[in-house]
Amino acid sequence: MTGLVAVVLLAIFWYSVENFTPLFFMIAFVAGIVLLYLAYRKVEDFIEDERSARITEKAATRTLQVFWVCFCAFSILAVMNLLDMPRFSRAFWLNRGTAVVPPEVLPLKLIGYFQLALLCLMIFLYVGFRIYYARKFGDWESDEE
Amino acid sequence: MKNKIKVYRAMHDLTQEDLADAIGVTRQTILAIEKGKYVPSLDLAFRISRYFKVNIEEIFFYDENINGS
Repeated sequence: MTGLVAVVLLAIFWYSVENFTPLFFMIAFVAGIVLLYLAYRKVEDFIEDERSARITEKAATRTLQVFWVCFCAFSILAVMNLLDMPRFSRAFWLNRGTAVVPPEVLPLKLIGYFQLALLCLMIFLYVGFRIYYARKFGDWESDEE
Repeated sequence: MKNKIKVYRAMHDLTQEDLADAIGVTRQTILAIEKGKYVPSLDLAFRISRYFKVNIEEIFFYDENINGS
């Protein structure tokens, strides 16, 4: 089911890029996640005991703790960049009206790449912490039986 | 926190899988508790002791030399 949703989302992503309809992909992405969540709730033979819940909880908390620092650092960088408003160069003031174009504040494409990098960081952090806590709470302990 | 789950399992001739199924957790959780890698919640500790029909203190006991996780 997850694979099917992923393939459909990939196709929609491709379509959205080709036709420049980002909103369509955003709606499809949210719908896909909701669909997966509803399907997950229907599964009955899946045991999520308190230990696995604790591993998830600890990994999520630690991820958030590290992530907000990274996100805050990036946000400060972005705000500082925004506050550094485009100034007209000295040449502009000397030759008023000539074609001196002020620099772009912060390229939107750059923000997109940064967001993507932050998202990847979040995923890597979560997986890393999950492996760490799973090991700590004995997920790969050898059996003596 | 130390425990005698392994001893009680042996007394009742149960495998980790049997006990896990009986109290509704995974076998890995029983293994982790037995090895002291995971300290169960009070609810789970009570379920285990009720299953063996003994008081909770007879299975779980606090060891001051070991830091709980």
